Amino acid sequence: MDHFTRLKRQISQYIMAMLLLNGGLIVAGWWITNHVLQTSAALSLLILTSLVIIVSLVFARAVTQYVIEPVRMLWQAILHVSPGHVQVPAPNLQTAKVGRELISSLALQVYQLASTSTKPAEDSQLDRAASTMIGSLPLPFFAVDKNQVIVYANDTAAKYVGIVLGDLIGKNLYATLDLAFPSTDTLDTWLADAKAKTLTSSHAWEHVRLKLPNRPETLQFDMAAYYNKENPANVETMLVLFDHTKRYAQADDENSTLELAVHELRTPVTLLRGYIEVFDEELKGKLDPQMAGFMQKMQASAGQLSTFISNILNVARIEANQLILQLHEDNWDSIVQAAAHDLNLRAQIHRKIIEYTPTPDLPTVAVDRVSIYEVLSNLLDNAVKYSPDGQKILLQTAVTNDGSVETTIQDFGQGIPTNVLQHLFEKYARNYHNQKQVSGTGLGLYLSKAIVSAHGGNIWVRSKEGQGTTVGFTVQPYSKLAGELKNSDNKDIVRGAYGWIKNHSLYRK
Amino acid sequence: MDESTPQQPAAPTKRILCIEDEHFISELYAHSLGKAGYDVKVVFDGLEGFNEAKTNAYDIILLDLMIPSMLGIDILKRLRAEVPDLRAKIIITTNLEQTKEHRKQIEDQADGYVIKAEITPRQLVDFLSHVA
Repeated sequence: MDHFTRLKRQISQYIMAMLLLNGGLIVAGWWITNHVLQTSAALSLLILTSLVIIVSLVFARAVTQYVIEPVRMLWQAILHVSPGHVQVPAPNLQTAKVGRELISSLALQVYQLASTSTKPAEDSQLDRAASTMIGSLPLPFFAVDKNQVIVYANDTAAKYVGIVLGDLIGKNLYATLDLAFPSTDTLDTWLADAKAKTLTSSHAWEHVRLKLPNRPETLQFDMAAYYNKENPANVETMLVLFDHTKRYAQADDENSTLELAVHELRTPVTLLRGYIEVFDEELKGKLDPQMAGFMQKMQASAGQLSTFISNILNVARIEANQLILQLHEDNWDSIVQAAAHDLNLRAQIHRKIIEYTPTPDLPTVAVDRVSIYEVLSNLLDNAVKYSPDGQKILLQTAVTNDGSVETTIQDFGQGIPTNVLQHLFEKYARNYHNQKQVSGTGLGLYLSKAIVSAHGGNIWVRSKEGQGTTVGFTVQPYSKLAGELKNSDNKDIVRGAYGWIKNHSLYRK
Repeated sequence: MDESTPQQPAAPTKRILCIEDEHFISELYAHSLGKAGYDVKVVFDGLEGFNEAKTNAYDIILLDLMIPSMLGIDILKRLRAEVPDLRAKIIITTNLEQTKEHRKQIEDQADGYVIKAEITPRQLVDFLSHVA
């Protein structure tokens, strides 16, 4: 059956179905008015006539919508390729409810006609002009066919990647250029999506990296791509690179400066924490309660400063796509207990207490212990900061329906207003009610979200003004990622909250 | 890690070599580790520390990375290359974030790693009690 006959049949079927439904409704209406409502003949006639008019109007509208859809799509396809209408997007043919095959084939012909519509003489002239322009384009340009084989590259491209032009042509793009993207939005995923859904598509990426074996430095650039299905010139995808190696390298340098600054800040913090602890031990029992309280506050503040310094560094790394996590099998209960113990020191100063209710038989989890400890520390610290003195903070763990391990932290503070809630995980987001009363940078939740996401988990918050806030996040059970993790090369290293020891049973439970 | 009381090392006294150029930090560590029962020797210079680690027997070497005359990472590499049967456990103590290459080298060759700003002397004593 050809596409046209199929479309005709589909439309007839729709109309038949609508008419049958309409008839059925009329008979049902007649039966109800006569047998159930038992109205007079005149009233029955009036109700039935109104019903027929309304139902016919609705059905006519629905049928028109179906019948006209292929025409609308074709019209959109023509506009898409018409000069002066370039802003009209190509129709998404996958959404067509009737005549998808016919309309796809017609749209394809429209696109092909549009690309070959110039006169032959002009055509070759244009070809030559386009070829010269692309050849002398001061930007690296690659054209690949539907198998991702490079069919054309300009001289700039060959020079940029340091490969002779003749060696580039005919090679697979992915095998020749090992492109690294900052997220899961890669050339490959975009291309697969474009191939499945559209006839033409374009996309751009920032900060793509390319390490070539023959070059010492990593090339860093932005990239734009255009995809055109069934292109008659055998060019399916075109890529243009915009080199920013220098600018991005400068940004990396800025990060190194930050790392150096962090190093310099950490030395006095190490000393501060160390000496306070020595004093605390030496003077235990000799200080009056007020002085002992001051000592405890000093200790908690120095700990907070240390967390803050790590937070700044980690945020910078997230923004430069340099936060590298190494997930290992770990006992979740021991990590949560350690965080609760450490943060209780801070909580006790404000006469608050973190109550941890462990869940027995939790599965082992796949986590980067140092980073996930920071998440717990940040969330507990928030609960301590934002709940009233003398109140409890509840810390609980559970296994969710999909097998993830969920941890929730509940405080009974003043809660978060709705308008703040939606921006809570953004950088520098802080509850304006508290800005004057509570110290903080607004980095903790932003960082926590990034770390939890990198673990393949989710983070959420539920809050009601005046009643308190509950923050929860999930991590993956080790069994889910075991196969992948066993292939990693440093599985014997076991991380602690402040470092790691090799092959030690202490942290492997 | 969650125990807060320092653990005393078993007799005979364990020896620690602390290669650390920051005088205040080495003083602090010597004080706390000494009180916990360790015999601590402090060296402020990289090359001197390397020679000391090569010639005398220690149970633990605390190795800072940013030290004068020979960097900690080079001390680590040379000790592993030149003293294959080194008894001491090498623990990197640093406040500097590592490049990817250094991180790999440290993970391959060191026995432990701590960020000094994130560990108090008491926690360090606890940490080391599990190392040697």
